Amino acid sequence: MKNNKKQSAAPSANNSRKHLAAKIYKYRGFYLMFLPVFVFAVIFFYLPMIGIRYAFTDYNGIKDPTFTGLANFEKMFSMPNFWSAFFNTLQISIIRLFLTVAVAVIVSIFLNEIANIHFKKVVQTIIYLPHFMSWVVTASVFSLILAPTSQGLVNSFLVQLGVVSADNMIYFLGDNKWWRFAFYLIGIWKETGWQTVIFMATLSGINTELYEAASIDGAGRWGKMRYITFPALANTILTVLILNLAKVMNLFESAFVLQNDAVLGTANVLETYIYYQTFNSGAIPNYGYTTAVGLFKSAIGCVLVLFCNWLSKKVREGRGIV
Amino acid sequence: MKSKKKIQVFPIVNGLIFIIISLIIIVPLWKVLVDSFDLKTAYGMKLWPEEFGFTGYVTVLTNQTLYQPLIISFITTICGTIVALILSTFGAYVLIQYDMPGRNFFANMLLFTMIFNGGMIPTYLVLKSLHLTNTLWVVILFPALNVYNLVLMRNFFEGIPASLFESATLDGCSPMQTFIKIVLPMSKAALASIGLMFAVAYWNDYTHYKLYITNSDLYNFQMKLRGMIMGSDSPAVTAGVTENTIKNAAIIVVILPFMILYPFLQKYFVKGVNIGAVKE
Repeated sequence: MKNNKKQSAAPSANNSRKHLAAKIYKYRGFYLMFLPVFVFAVIFFYLPMIGIRYAFTDYNGIKDPTFTGLANFEKMFSMPNFWSAFFNTLQISIIRLFLTVAVAVIVSIFLNEIANIHFKKVVQTIIYLPHFMSWVVTASVFSLILAPTSQGLVNSFLVQLGVVSADNMIYFLGDNKWWRFAFYLIGIWKETGWQTVIFMATLSGINTELYEAASIDGAGRWGKMRYITFPALANTILTVLILNLAKVMNLFESAFVLQNDAVLGTANVLETYIYYQTFNSGAIPNYGYTTAVGLFKSAIGCVLVLFCNWLSKKVREGRGIV
Repeated sequence: MKSKKKIQVFPIVNGLIFIIISLIIIVPLWKVLVDSFDLKTAYGMKLWPEEFGFTGYVTVLTNQTLYQPLIISFITTICGTIVALILSTFGAYVLIQYDMPGRNFFANMLLFTMIFNGGMIPTYLVLKSLHLTNTLWVVILFPALNVYNLVLMRNFFEGIPASLFESATLDGCSPMQTFIKIVLPMSKAALASIGLMFAVAYWNDYTHYKLYITNSDLYNFQMKLRGMIMGSDSPAVTAGVTENTIKNAAIIVVILPFMILYPFLQKYFVKGVNIGAVKE
């Protein structure tokens, strides 16, 4: 393609310019169609990128920004709350990712063993359902069910079993000891089912002759699951992990709607830290500082995406993720 | 002998496991449904309403502070999905014009936003300076350009045979005519899947409202529900109904439209995932 262009450019530069102009004219309708997309991209994605300059300034939205160099970053690195939010983000995101994928893989393998097609369909319909509920709804459902009062289903059940006493119920979402445990379980409840879609798609592609051959070789059900079903999933598992690893820094809404002031030590993540520092601090917002934290977060996120893209190309025959 | 016994036991155990898994998914939702019909103060272990009644729902649908957010949810979902589909299909259609000058620039411009972004605060400041905050425009327009969904759409469009485009051009169709006469009819399934993804995202949107809207008259139902659950925004409790009943009824109302449509639309959602991730 490039060579072609060069050859045509050699005889007369004027000619190729005319050629390009003619081509652009030919595609004029397409440029017009791309215009709205272009405008949206500029306004919503590129203008904010220019705003990153605030990270190097003192800016509160009232007075004009004044350049302060790296002062915001120095402040950030000296803040214990920043570091706790940073490590919380990585820990919570990554542990939740691995837990959900692990559970989804196990569920898929056993789901694949259900012979009755109607039963399988019903189960699939049910387990996909929570994925389509918003995090607000999920948080609402669980804050009602996990409530540390006689109205809470889980605590009432535990009292009935005699595990906890009626006047010492567990406040799952308001206790640093329990919050993450509850967060992971809610994450598994919400997303595992939907994760199985992609694994089931892979499993449906397995050649049935493989299973027949294994039967002839004397493999039982466990043998087939162990040596055919699970290895077939290996590639998909890797893909799902890579795709999601690229996004671990973006954790916001799910943590935000499930956390409260009592558990910020274990539940605060970078995006929620930025949110509280800007909108909930009670003082005049320091946009410069919170932009700096955001820039740090985006930079790490960018490195992660590029790393995952590289990894993906390595292990998936050249197919990247972006 | 031993293996024969195993084969008989396994399906039963497996079936039981999946019945339990399904119950784990359903019981929390069932509990909310029960409490939404129960006019007495809820008691945790109860899985059947004690005093059955619709008052909770009547309150949600007749109290203006509650039905107005519901209307806003509907409006933004419908308008947003339409705008989002226009952008995704236009963008995807242009991205399959590999011979078009500037096509790679446009593609890279969009893909770059998946790698790097300005972040929460600069985005907020830009939207504020454009006077988009505290308007419904921001929650309709901002989520409408979703590069990931645009790329899904492009993957779909790439499956349309090139000969169709050629013959359309020979017939003298303009790009827009080709788009309407060939591209759209050929990709009904993609429009359905991606449109549904957008619709669910708009209906469930909370983050954009939380960040960009402070005027409570413009809240959607998710914001309203959140306020009620957090106790910062208690609904006007009318006679004969507890606050708990209204909260539970509100949860059911917000998931109901989807629950009704879901069994019919499930295949489109599944299809959407499969064009994206398992594409060969």
